[in-house]
Amino acid sequence: MNKVLIAVALLASATTALAENTPIVGNVQTRCLITTDTNGVFGNPLPSKLSTASADGGVVPVVRYDVTLADAYLAKVTTPTAFSTSPSLSDSVAWTGTTAVSKTSDAAMSGYEAAKVTYGSTTQFDLTKAGSTWFSSTATAVYGVSKSFPGGSYTAIVLAECIAK
Amino acid sequence: MIRLAVAALLAIVATHAHSEYLYGISGNMAATGHTWGMNIGPSNTRGLRVNGVFYQYTPVKNTEDDMVVHVRNKRVGGGYIFSSTDDWSGLPGGIPITKGFIIDNLPIELWGDGSIDVEGTGSVIDANVIYSYKYNNDCLTPMSDPSCSGYIDAVLSMMGESDVEAYDPLADENIADVIDEKAELDEDVQQEDEEKVKAKDRLQRMLSGVNDSILYANVTSQNLLMFAMSRSNNLNPYYDKKLSGGTYTETVVLSDGELPDNAKGARAGLAQQILHADMVSMQYKPEE
Repeated sequence: MNKVLIAVALLASATTALAENTPIVGNVQTRCLITTDTNGVFGNPLPSKLSTASADGGVVPVVRYDVTLADAYLAKVTTPTAFSTSPSLSDSVAWTGTTAVSKTSDAAMSGYEAAKVTYGSTTQFDLTKAGSTWFSSTATAVYGVSKSFPGGSYTAIVLAECIAK
Repeated sequence: MIRLAVAALLAIVATHAHSEYLYGISGNMAATGHTWGMNIGPSNTRGLRVNGVFYQYTPVKNTEDDMVVHVRNKRVGGGYIFSSTDDWSGLPGGIPITKGFIIDNLPIELWGDGSIDVEGTGSVIDANVIYSYKYNNDCLTPMSDPSCSGYIDAVLSMMGESDVEAYDPLADENIADVIDEKAELDEDVQQEDEEKVKAKDRLQRMLSGVNDSILYANVTSQNLLMFAMSRSNNLNPYYDKKLSGGTYTETVVLSDGELPDNAKGARAGLAQQILHADMVSMQYKPEE
């Protein structure tokens, strides 16, 4: 028994002497790709209003999600609540926005719209099918109480995220 | 074996030399209805092959209704060469669906009519079906290659349209004009040659005159040189001649020291003076 213990001890010490850190490398391919399909443009139907609605002279931004793994991701699209760039504003801006499924690559995705969850300015979609889904967002900004926006360039950002479940 | 390999390689190269493909896409084949023929690509193309199908439509239905939509093309000879089915049963409508398919370059000859077929309750609106394709560009004109379809018809058509007539080139006005122009040109050339010969003669004569002048000038210059040389010989003796020295004194002596007036000479001089005065004043006398 003692001989065995000694042998084990020797083996352990020998193993310790030859120890080495072996790296483990791996790559994870993205299975959710977000692409801007259409850049949005603000229309200015009223001096106090900026809107992406086509009826207001704007262009609705469209973002596309390409998912290759079904039922693994959530799409979160957040409409703007502030200008990222704008002239100096001295009054408050009231923001409204919506996000909807505008086009799909699979009939089964048509249920995304009915199943979407909205909280605050964020709309969440459960991407249960593999394929491409197009989401369009509208954004409207109203300045003060019928107050005219100062002249200049205005930019706002729609945030699109792909969250793993 | 090596020869076979070389021949095969050359055949491949030749094939590649003729395999220049052009690519294109069709218009919306479902623009006018939910069935369509496959008349895509330029006319007279050879080897047109479909390499992609893209479609989009919006289903109109109630969620509880069953509806299946087929987008497909018949295969010549039976069956379908392309078919895509969307099952909208229990799903809401109103949201457009778009799909794209890569096709393995299937020849257009295999593609039959296309259609969007709806089974169940519901309909399809805003349908858009597009085909992408590639084709050879070496048969855009059928006569460019005997292997092109329509080559024989094109040749026969060309032969049938042409009238065979005996052609007399001398009766052709264009050729006659060219011949006349050539004759005039030859005549001009001949005149130019003669003028060149004359000019050459004149030049030779002129050059011969110049040669004579040069010769004469040489003779003259030699004469002048000889004259100058002889002149020095002739004149130098005179330069060397010297007068004998000494003083030449006055030898005439006035004997009495007085010169008397010459009264006769004075009268003659006075008479000449008077005569001269009369002659001068005659021009102022009035004519009688």
